[in-house]
Amino acid sequence: MRFARLALLLAAAAGPAAAKSPPPLPTYTPAYEPSTVDERGLWGEADEEERKLRDSPLVVRDETVNAYVRRVFCTTVGQDRCKPVRIYVVEVPRFNAMMAPNGMMVVWSGLLLRARSEAELGAVLGHEFAHFELRHGLAAFKRARNISDALSWIGVAGGLSGVNTFGLQWALIGSFYRFNRDQERQADELGLKYLAASPYPAGAMPELWTHVMAEDDATKVARGRKPRQHYSAGFFDTHPTDLDRAVTLTKLAAKYGDSGDAAFAGHRTGVTPVLPMLLADQIKLNDFGGTDYILGQLAQSSGWTSDLLFARAELYRARGNPRDLVTAAGFYGDAIRAGCTAPEARRGLGLSLMRSGLASDGRTALAEYLQLKPDAADAKAIQALLAN
Amino acid sequence: MTKRLLITAALAATLAGPALANSLVAPGPVPRIARSTLSAVPGTEWNRLSARGGKNVEIWTLDGDELNKVTFYGGVLVGDTLFRAADRKNAPLPKVTPNMLITDIPALLESSYRSQYNTTQMSIDSQEPTLVAGHKGIKFTYSFVRQDDELQRKGEAVGAFVGDRLYLVSYEAPAIHFFDKDVASFRQLATTLKF
Repeated sequence: MRFARLALLLAAAAGPAAAKSPPPLPTYTPAYEPSTVDERGLWGEADEEERKLRDSPLVVRDETVNAYVRRVFCTTVGQDRCKPVRIYVVEVPRFNAMMAPNGMMVVWSGLLLRARSEAELGAVLGHEFAHFELRHGLAAFKRARNISDALSWIGVAGGLSGVNTFGLQWALIGSFYRFNRDQERQADELGLKYLAASPYPAGAMPELWTHVMAEDDATKVARGRKPRQHYSAGFFDTHPTDLDRAVTLTKLAAKYGDSGDAAFAGHRTGVTPVLPMLLADQIKLNDFGGTDYILGQLAQSSGWTSDLLFARAELYRARGNPRDLVTAAGFYGDAIRAGCTAPEARRGLGLSLMRSGLASDGRTALAEYLQLKPDAADAKAIQALLAN
Repeated sequence: MTKRLLITAALAATLAGPALANSLVAPGPVPRIARSTLSAVPGTEWNRLSARGGKNVEIWTLDGDELNKVTFYGGVLVGDTLFRAADRKNAPLPKVTPNMLITDIPALLESSYRSQYNTTQMSIDSQEPTLVAGHKGIKFTYSFVRQDDELQRKGEAVGAFVGDRLYLVSYEAPAIHFFDKDVASFRQLATTLKF
């Protein structure tokens, strides 16, 4: 019902599609240098952050994936704009990307899992780049200076009292990159222009946004909460209300009326090297509803591949209700029949069966796991389960 | 001026409060650890932190919990979480579920850490069977990086299910210097555990 209403709203916003020429982009200033004291300070801080990030163990070093993200970014904003930008993909399984005022872009790995096409990934990267091109960071910096002062005190108090301040720090660090609603609207508009001028369709942006809302709903429903109470969770709470945003974006995208290939297959290929990592990170977040939704979306694009079936089995086994274990065993079996060669599929199958009371079938699967991976890190523990 | 005094007083209260409540653990038998039937016989002095993190959790340290930390989870019931969720609404923690196997213990710890501490890089490095206080259990090692300090940490833990309760004792320290420095003290402690 909710989605029916949303679909109607989006359809009404879209109106009749009419092909028009791409909108003109603002003149780009290459090799921009900061011009005021505040701006130079801001760049200095961002440079320091970048030096730290460059050596961080969280940075995903896979060359193929990095080249893929850069290609999508460059295709979206154009070669002249993309060249000076340094992109860092970091292993954080949530939906986010951000761009520092000095031209450093940080892409969280969770975005790669949630974007379903090159166009959807490009939509987010383009939006973040728009903040950079419009110099939104400068206004935020004046606010951030005060927040940084508060941050140092909280760190001291938290450290001594043994309280984990991470959540608080991250919230504040998140706000360092936050922009106000007007700036978000401006970035949305410019981001859409990039998309409209690129080979990708501008409609990808509202589509991605709709999926982000639906995933949030799925998370809440599975946790026994009411969906769509406030879409403004976490990092998005200074962004325009999500539904409002989806409707506005759809209207704007329809205005440009551009068509183009969203490149679903290109995205699948681009993230292939890190897909097992993306899936494993997501499953361990203890977010059953949201994760199942994401897997369903991926399957719509690629079909239920052995990777996705295995991930779904792991998700059900992790929740661990008696019915989940039966479902998990089924998915492990499906994954193996679909050609999953990972020994861990046998491991998961065996453990699910054992927990379901089917000990002898479970032992068979676990024995196969040990045969396939005799030097597994948990080989001794699994042998103990076999012996019991 | 008054405002400044108030802020100073508030900060002092925040800083001093928990520190005063920490207590010394002398060598010898220590009963009722983590408000449970768990007991141990440490061979050296430890410091018990007042910060608990959960109703059946107790933390001991030698040099501060960022440098070396032993965490006792004393009999976590089926349906309960390992420790208290910092944000139960938006980041609930996984629960102990019925019929868990010993190999589910490290997975539970990993998922709890990822949810609570945004630990995005964590791996379980080895798992082997062991007897914990005479019960069939598991000994496992792990490593992880927290996003806030990006320091590589190592951990070693022993755990077992007794009836519908999970007993787990873990030792964690930075991989550089500290883990190796005190792991022997933990292993000695682990051999004396009783449920």
